[in-house]
Amino acid sequence: MNRTRWIFVGILLVALVIVGASLIWRAISRSGSTEEGLTVKRPEAATVRVLTSLPVEPWVRSAAEAFNQTNPTVEGVPVQVEIVAMDGLTALGRWDRNDFGALPADVQLEDLSEAEQAALKNFPTAWIPDSRYLVELANASYKERLGRDVFLTDGEYRARSVVISLFTWGIYESRANVLKAHFGEITWRTIHDAAVAKGGWPELGGDPGWGYFKLVVPNPRKNAGGLAAMIAAAGEYYGRTDISVEDLTNPEFQAWLNELMGSVTDFSSASAYTAEDFALFGYSVGDGGQLLESDLLQNMQGILTRWEDPLVLYYPRYVTWFDFPFTVWMGPETSALEKNAALAFERFLLSEPQQQAALVYGLRPANPNVAVNASPDSLFVKWQERGVEPVVPRADAMRSPDREVLLALLRWFDLNVVE
Amino acid sequence: MAGMRSSPQRPWSTRFTSDQRTCLVAAIILLVVVCVCGALVVSVGGRLGESLASMFRQEEATPSGAWPADSAELMVAVSPGMAPVFQELADQFNRQAQRTPDGQSMQVKPLALTPEKMVEQSLGMPPFQALAPDSSLWLNQLERRWAELQGAGASEAALIPIGDRRVSNPIRYATSPIVIVAWESVARQLGWPDRAVGWQEIQRKATQDPNFKWNHPSTSHASGLLATLAEFYAGAGLTRGLTPAVATNPQTLEYVRAVESTVRFYGEGEEVIIERLAAEGRNFLDAFVAQEQVVIAWNSGARAGLQTVPAQAERLVAIYPAEGTLWADHPLALLELGGPGETAATDNQRRTFQAFAQFLTSTDAQRQLLAAGYRPADLSVSLDEAGSPFADTDAVDWRQPQTTLQIPPAAVVEVVQNVWWYTKRPTNVILVVDTSGSMAGDKLERTQEALRAFVSQIRGERDQVGLVEFGSSIKRFEQLRPQTSQNRAELIEQINGMEADGRTALIDALVEAYKYLQATGDTEAINAIVAMTDGQENQSFYGFPDLEQYMKEEQTVNVVVFTIAFGSDADENLLQNIARAGNGQFRRASETDIEELYKIISTYF
Repeated sequence: MNRTRWIFVGILLVALVIVGASLIWRAISRSGSTEEGLTVKRPEAATVRVLTSLPVEPWVRSAAEAFNQTNPTVEGVPVQVEIVAMDGLTALGRWDRNDFGALPADVQLEDLSEAEQAALKNFPTAWIPDSRYLVELANASYKERLGRDVFLTDGEYRARSVVISLFTWGIYESRANVLKAHFGEITWRTIHDAAVAKGGWPELGGDPGWGYFKLVVPNPRKNAGGLAAMIAAAGEYYGRTDISVEDLTNPEFQAWLNELMGSVTDFSSASAYTAEDFALFGYSVGDGGQLLESDLLQNMQGILTRWEDPLVLYYPRYVTWFDFPFTVWMGPETSALEKNAALAFERFLLSEPQQQAALVYGLRPANPNVAVNASPDSLFVKWQERGVEPVVPRADAMRSPDREVLLALLRWFDLNVVE
Repeated sequence: MAGMRSSPQRPWSTRFTSDQRTCLVAAIILLVVVCVCGALVVSVGGRLGESLASMFRQEEATPSGAWPADSAELMVAVSPGMAPVFQELADQFNRQAQRTPDGQSMQVKPLALTPEKMVEQSLGMPPFQALAPDSSLWLNQLERRWAELQGAGASEAALIPIGDRRVSNPIRYATSPIVIVAWESVARQLGWPDRAVGWQEIQRKATQDPNFKWNHPSTSHASGLLATLAEFYAGAGLTRGLTPAVATNPQTLEYVRAVESTVRFYGEGEEVIIERLAAEGRNFLDAFVAQEQVVIAWNSGARAGLQTVPAQAERLVAIYPAEGTLWADHPLALLELGGPGETAATDNQRRTFQAFAQFLTSTDAQRQLLAAGYRPADLSVSLDEAGSPFADTDAVDWRQPQTTLQIPPAAVVEVVQNVWWYTKRPTNVILVVDTSGSMAGDKLERTQEALRAFVSQIRGERDQVGLVEFGSSIKRFEQLRPQTSQNRAELIEQINGMEADGRTALIDALVEAYKYLQATGDTEAINAIVAMTDGQENQSFYGFPDLEQYMKEEQTVNVVVFTIAFGSDADENLLQNIARAGNGQFRRASETDIEELYKIISTYF
């Protein structure tokens, strides 16, 4: 080998040494410690982000604070829970639009740059929607996109209810007394008849100052409760629990529903907390409506403080339940550690102390070991005189709507109410 | 020579030419540099590239009014009526000096803006990240217009057509029902408190009694919009189910037109009406439409800037319309920015929003809102407890309202807003504009912009605008003309052609404009003069006493005179006296706000 070649070989070796040394330095500096080796990354802490529907948000947030105060660890890693409040329908829309940034099926986490990986730091670890049907709809959306379910229906990570609640009639007492005297009972049919009374309240025997009967139904585009109310009305109209698209497109039913919805005073509400609106604006905006029991119970004290007239609860013949399933995201966007930490928080929510705490928010426990009157502060005890019943009478549970029914209802609402 | 050619061990210095050696050295240096760079890229792991890329991204995503990526300063657009209380609360929040996890100071900066403008600006790249209009109606309108901008395609493409929203996390921090505010003596004449008084009675009184003076703000404010909706409901004989077809029915329009013809003038929000009431008392208005809060603020004299409320001033009372009313529900919502070319609200700004929302709904802030006359959103705060402004008074009633009108869908509200321009009281307004020599340069350019903005704001099909341009004498007198698109274009052309020269003959110009309006004899319309000058009167034949005398004597037509002092050299005393004599208003303006001022004045018509 001549001298020139030696020189070139020397330069090449120097270059290789520089690159090799840099690689070693990089690995060491990234790991921060040689104890963890060059490739294993162990997080110093993990955060569980739980998208939480609005009716259970105060309880879940309070439970999260209690959980965080226990300094929990999973697999030796400290864990904190962060709550993100979001109406179930809004969250569904965001899953559907992939606003959270789930990866395409052919992209692996390792393929992403650091910046792209960092963008996933706010990806929800778990979701507590109002009802299981919202999970099914989100799954349907991702199945088309990814070819698989992102929320599981069985196994360790399956969706489990953490509390439950149902829709009940909440009516201002003065108005309820007039309705009962005039119609005998409170049903969707009698509410419809009150809504269409041409002479308003005077025709029903009420005070002329009350104007017309005003129904409260949440805006179904902003609050999952609005859809539930319309499906419950359909159930009672047809006398069954399973509603189809054909039922909803029946012209006679549509005319009936149109008259009913025509008595809603305000669909423009900025808030999704319709029971809170109910309390805030009192009987001036709504005489009564079918709303979530827990929301009504939480606002009962406010109504008594703010308005002269108390609210009373009546349980309908066809009951719509919200089961608030705790659902863990199964994609690669969250780590196994985060998923397991989410399960730990789910177990915490289902623990007896937290289930008892739920009673203070008017939520019915999912843990069968906890009775609705288990706590002295239970709203089911406090508001018994206002008509709340620990055991739900006459329960014919409405079936959850499938995607086609949901779309048909939203379309009808847009065409007949929004426009 | 042959021996030299065959030698295998020739020194390299002799084997390469000088150029070849240079090339070899350069190649070696290049190779080393490439290796070192490669190593650097590997060791930095692309961080440099990311930094560069982020710099470019930042560059791309930095529109005017953008903010740093870690900013915790939240700018909130707030309705002018709420602005003073909101500012006070924001100051208190800022003094708490809360910090984000990365150490940024959480600050809230309110920006007073009419709700209509909030909506307008929110559709583009607004300088604010949150908004607090006086009613959720505006949020609805914003969502509707946002959805239209996004196009139906986006929604249809989604499996679940829950649209992308422009606002999120709305909360309510206060409420106040819209009421008819009247002097106690006027209210008693109407039957208060013995019997319920409705919109129709006010409207009947206004049409039957020519001396009855009432007002509602323009539809740019919740109270004006809600009063207008109430008129449409009354005109249609409904309290719910208002549709575009019903709103545009000729009979409905005729009714609304008749009622609107009794409105003294429109104008800004309640805050200005209160100031005028303080200045003029009973002579100004008998009744007006406003939030219930105004009654409490007036009667307590506690409203900011109302030191002038006479101690012996008569009480105002709230009449809750029998047919039903509507609520100003004061939402606070975050804007979901971040579209193409738009800077999104930062994580820190979101934290500031959450913290401020929490602060606004805290017991302390809620009690301050109660003291200011609003109904707190916190339901644990009782309205009739001792010390509450609702307790021990019959001027307001916390049990009211008993019923509300139905808030129509956003599409119907927009129809009402548009149709209102055809039903509102017509306007004859003369713009009296100083183009004397001192106006040369930037002043004239700003004035021309302001005049163009004013003309474009006058949209009623029966509204007429005229122009008097003066210097040493009247340079141009354009008679009143309806604002068709052609007339408007011609007027704007004349505005563009203005030139500054001469002295200042303001009074002569005003006398001519006043005479002209008297000569029209149009008593149905709002007749007004908007006069602007930047200097001292120094050339008129007439003096102010002549003008004042003339205004007293010639009152075939009621003419309101607005005066604007442009810059610091204007004769403010004279302009104030003219405005007083003309039952109008005096305003100051500078190059930076004269356009805004002209726009505000246009809302009076």
